[in-house]
Amino acid sequence: MKLEVKDIRKSFGEREILHGISFEVVSGKAMGFLGRNGAGKSTTIRCLMDVFHQDSGEFLLDGKPFKTGDYRIGYLPEERGMYAKNKVLNQLTYFAMLRGADKASAEKSAMEWIDFFNLGDYAKRPLEHLSKGNQQKIQIAQAFLNDPDILILDEPFSGLDPVNAQVFKNAVADFVKRGKLVIFSSHQMGYVEEVCDDVTLIHDGSILLSGDLDEIKRARGENKLLLEVDAVADEEVIQAIQTAFPGTQGTPYLADKGVILDTHNTATQQQMLTYLAGSNWTIARFGLYEPSLNDIFVSTVGGEKA
Amino acid sequence: MRNFKIVFGFELKNQLAKKSVIVTTLLIMLAVFALFNIPRIMNLFDSGKTDNVQQQDTTLTQDVGYVFADQTLEPVVSGALGLTQENLYPSRDSLVQDLQNKKLTVGFVVNSLTNFESVWQDKDLESNQGTRLAEVMKELYTSQKLSEMNVTMDQVAQIQTTQVEQVETVMGKNSSNNVLLAFGLLFVVYIFVLIYGQVTSTIIAREKDSKTMELLITSCKPSALILGKVAASAVAAVVQIAGIALAAFIGFQLNKHLLPPMLTMMLSGTLTRSYILTYIFYSVVGYIMYLFLYAALGSTVSKVEDVNNATGFIQFIFIGGYLAASFAMNMPSSGVAVVTSMIPFTSLMVMPLRSAIVTVPFWQHLVSGSLLLLTTVFLAVLSIKIYSWGTLNYGNKTGFFHAIKMTLKSEKRA
Repeated sequence: MKLEVKDIRKSFGEREILHGISFEVVSGKAMGFLGRNGAGKSTTIRCLMDVFHQDSGEFLLDGKPFKTGDYRIGYLPEERGMYAKNKVLNQLTYFAMLRGADKASAEKSAMEWIDFFNLGDYAKRPLEHLSKGNQQKIQIAQAFLNDPDILILDEPFSGLDPVNAQVFKNAVADFVKRGKLVIFSSHQMGYVEEVCDDVTLIHDGSILLSGDLDEIKRARGENKLLLEVDAVADEEVIQAIQTAFPGTQGTPYLADKGVILDTHNTATQQQMLTYLAGSNWTIARFGLYEPSLNDIFVSTVGGEKA
Repeated sequence: MRNFKIVFGFELKNQLAKKSVIVTTLLIMLAVFALFNIPRIMNLFDSGKTDNVQQQDTTLTQDVGYVFADQTLEPVVSGALGLTQENLYPSRDSLVQDLQNKKLTVGFVVNSLTNFESVWQDKDLESNQGTRLAEVMKELYTSQKLSEMNVTMDQVAQIQTTQVEQVETVMGKNSSNNVLLAFGLLFVVYIFVLIYGQVTSTIIAREKDSKTMELLITSCKPSALILGKVAASAVAAVVQIAGIALAAFIGFQLNKHLLPPMLTMMLSGTLTRSYILTYIFYSVVGYIMYLFLYAALGSTVSKVEDVNNATGFIQFIFIGGYLAASFAMNMPSSGVAVVTSMIPFTSLMVMPLRSAIVTVPFWQHLVSGSLLLLTTVFLAVLSIKIYSWGTLNYGNKTGFFHAIKMTLKSEKRA
């Protein structure tokens, strides 16, 4: 499946929130939808889920207009909540049935996900009797009901501790592996980097970046080199390199994680490798520099007017 | 339709499973059943009490003294009251002396069957012996005089109990029998609209408050959600009413021979098939109409605590309808009664009441019923649109009319 978001515009009153955004998502590859608070992530997702109607533009799935009723969709909204006084199993069954399952398969699906999150003991208790973290897991479980073809998760990691985040990542990875179409928005770059193959970055209602994460990283690395030498100060390394290859720019990378070398027109990767082999340094790491998703996010969004 | 059934089943189960609903229904059923059993219970007490009175009626003998000015009266009065020598005094002075010594409560000086003096040391509010003696002496006097005319008391009683036969022909409705029961049934509608209206508003407001609404509207259409919730409230009310009616029916069947004839006449007079159909039509359709209105208002608020404020104006309209019905009870054919029986927001109360009292022209039923149905459909559509519009309208409260205005502008799905 291929979902195309094409030139979506949405205004509330006189204020335009989405300024003609476009991007694509393909099944079998999780797409991280990134942006600061108020960037337009949830509005885009709500337009996609038909909670809001966009003013213009269209959503296409495999080239045809996307209608939510035609597919099994698992949706976790940003503003999430369920019935506090209803029993966990009953309300998960209710949501599964509303999305098309018959009662028997709805109960089966609900119970499978309750067990997946190790909440079997709470199945017949009201939701309000569960801890906040466990309630969060039930809310995620409702998105996974009925084996959806499309998963749309708005800030799924908020409220999850690292152990449950790992359980959730495993579940998402399984959906991706089985060829499902997965979109999720998040602020937590580390999680996105772990789970997503593609990313789309939205800022102030406009798409700044969209595509394969590895390609983006390579492009953002601009063929710079990353060198980490044991027991030698970064400044000393940079000075030695600049002496050997005049014009080379060097900057320390994070804290004691090496130096980034811009050798554009000053040295090839092979020349640099030969130089390092002749030195008496102990090389801990050498290769093409790839920025982290966090670096990309900060540098991209930071370069735009806030 | 499939999701409507799912929503309906879920909401109905939720409403009927509430402990407050179960307990309230059982208590009302018990109270209604007890109400029909009041005559039976009273009979039990009355029969015991009558025996006691007959055995122990000592009002005019215990601690009561008598002086007879005319000695020929003594056997007559003593015989009637069952007096003993202890009750008889030779003179007023000796009677007064015992009164002062608190041996007597009251003393009577009987001068003739039409004249006596009562003498008290202290007289309290419950001292009615004088009145009782006067009644007895009046009977003795009447009997004596009739005897002198050779007429017996039985003959007099026969004459006095003669019934005048009346053949009554009522061309239209007999309001004297119908009005009270009709007003009682109206009160049932009144109570259920207020209770279940509030319940419906609260359910919707709570879904927004708990942020469940976004999940719901992305899982099924708003129309299925609103119609399912309103239908569940309607059926929950019917189940409660059926339970209460069953308790009333059993109570009536068990006690109908003991109930006042007036009540039996009212039931048989008012509960004709046409009246029942009229009552059901206006009550059910009007009730559903109000539920849609309450549902729409529940959609305009984001917090449960704001529901009362949002629904306040509906309650005023509805109470206005109830007052109009009270007015129509006295003047069922007045202009005000006719007009309010046409307006959908009041017709559910005024029209059944008018129908119970007077013969309402068919054209008035046609106009009133059509307006009620059309308004209900209109409010159903409006409430679905407001529900859709209000889904993500978190934060500030929105006025009902502002919500309608925004809904008409809104392009969101319905």
